[in-house]
Amino acid sequence: MPASVSSSSRDSSRKELEVRWRPSRHARRLFTLALAGLLLATLTRRPEFAGLAAPALLLLGAARPGRPPRVDVRVALATSRLYEDEVGAVDVAIDDTEHDVRWELHPGRGVDPVSATAVNGAAARFEFTVPRWGRRPLGSVALVLYDRWRLAEGRVTVELPAVDCYPQPAVQRTRVVLSRLPNRLGEHSARVAGEGAEFTGIREYVPGDRQRAINWPATTRRGRLQVNTFAAERSQDIVLVVDATSDVGSPGSSALDLGLRGAAGAARAYLDGRDRVGVICYQWGGARWLAPSLGRRQVYKIIDTMLSADAGWARGESFSRIPRAALPPGALVVVFSPLLDQRFVETLRDMRERGFALFVVDVLNTAPPARRTFTDATTRRIWRMEQQAIRFSLRELGVPVVHWDGESPLDLPLAPYTRRPLLARR
Amino acid sequence: MSAPRVLAAAGPRLAAPLLGAACVAWTAVPLRHTGWADIALVVSIIAVTAGALRLALADVPQPTDEFFPSPALRTWLQFLRVLRTWPWEEIAVAATAWLEVQHPARPWHTVALGFGLVAYLLAVHIAESGAPAGRLLHRQWKVLLAGACLIALGAGFATLPTAGPGAGSALLRVLAAAAVVGAAALVLPGRD
Repeated sequence: MPASVSSSSRDSSRKELEVRWRPSRHARRLFTLALAGLLLATLTRRPEFAGLAAPALLLLGAARPGRPPRVDVRVALATSRLYEDEVGAVDVAIDDTEHDVRWELHPGRGVDPVSATAVNGAAARFEFTVPRWGRRPLGSVALVLYDRWRLAEGRVTVELPAVDCYPQPAVQRTRVVLSRLPNRLGEHSARVAGEGAEFTGIREYVPGDRQRAINWPATTRRGRLQVNTFAAERSQDIVLVVDATSDVGSPGSSALDLGLRGAAGAARAYLDGRDRVGVICYQWGGARWLAPSLGRRQVYKIIDTMLSADAGWARGESFSRIPRAALPPGALVVVFSPLLDQRFVETLRDMRERGFALFVVDVLNTAPPARRTFTDATTRRIWRMEQQAIRFSLRELGVPVVHWDGESPLDLPLAPYTRRPLLARR
Repeated sequence: MSAPRVLAAAGPRLAAPLLGAACVAWTAVPLRHTGWADIALVVSIIAVTAGALRLALADVPQPTDEFFPSPALRTWLQFLRVLRTWPWEEIAVAATAWLEVQHPARPWHTVALGFGLVAYLLAVHIAESGAPAGRLLHRQWKVLLAGACLIALGAGFATLPTAGPGAGSALLRVLAAAAVVGAAALVLPGRD
């Protein structure tokens, strides 16, 4: 479970809301008892039924006017951003001390309450989780005020704010590193000699070499001054591409869900390695992108950019050439896609032809439903062959394609490519 | 959740139907098989049972955006809706009082029924609102005590020897009892 997105932030607001007062159910029941007692006493001329109405009448007579028409309610979100399945909390409070107070949470769509949904007291805390990424309205809280005798109840509906739920980042500890890295300081060992920490060999001393690099055992053996050489440490540019054109599969584990989780995990992994990371969301009608940059905040910028992706049914114009501004030269492009849209596949081919090192993580984990008919079976088989052909054609272009099921760590499918540098071929 | 907390949460929900059932049983005995008595008994049993179910299922969420629900789910939702919208406790109180009327006059029996019905309504309110029972009763004990005295007074009026046979004297006793109750309701409350 990742750390809270912004556990320190606390969005608090104070609202003055109108109270709708009306007789409580308790009052209505007492009224029924009193009315029944008096009516039966009169109709049957039996005085004991008048006594039956007495306690109810006394309790009803205790009602007094002077109820506040408006109340101040404070609403505070523990955090306005959280990851999938992370527990969030919202605090509600009222300054009123004269009335008995009851809070009832009515969660919004896609919000699961964790704590009790009804609490008595002047303040209450409701805990919740959001199982799927996206911007989710938390719903509302019904505040019920009871007077001293519980004969009148005032109702207030407090609309709760929305929270941004981030996709749960996939677990990724290893990184794919290009064989050719840009000339910029970083943490990856490059193939060229430099001032890094990884030992690469020994060579003869030349004037200008640092004395601390002298390898004395080798010098003693060879009779000449020998110095250690080290690999340079460089960083790389990573561009994550999320295919938002096809969202297939069951909600919660659809291709887009897996793409976003994988991209979020990859962003964290590469930013932890001091790489510059950017993102491109390929969607209908265009693409949204964020230029590569460094730092912890970049993770949240990347996820915010991804969350704004439109995976709706509106089919606008698409394009097959991603703008140059979104792709720095020499960048490693990591693609999360189900590879269902032919135009997106064409875009990948175009990027490869432009010389970018591509790496595709296939997040397709579903297939068309099929009945036990010959037509369905044949159609499904043709569909599978098409999918295999798409992946084969990409591999033929030198684009590695690995399949990720969304449950195992990303390190597993990436393992063959994280042990050695990925050749950046032109 | 610890056992005391479960007991504290389930206690009022258990107490309310038990009190309701006790009231119905108290009123029904001895059984009378006139038409109205049978109807009142059946209605009061149904109402108390439905009220108990409403309290027991109070925490079951009612989905608002179900697409194409199955017939079983639709029936279940309709059942929940009926349970939660009908005034079962009011029906139970009215039916029980009517059942008591079907019996010949028995003033002290009716006094006990009055205590039971007030306790039933208070228990239902405590169960559905989650209000702390001790605090609620502590606030209202004076009024409840006055009410108990008035119930006893009503029974006392019923047992007074009448001046003579006839409808006029009975009506006078009813009016006297109602006047005492009304006067107490005007004088006692609000000065706590």
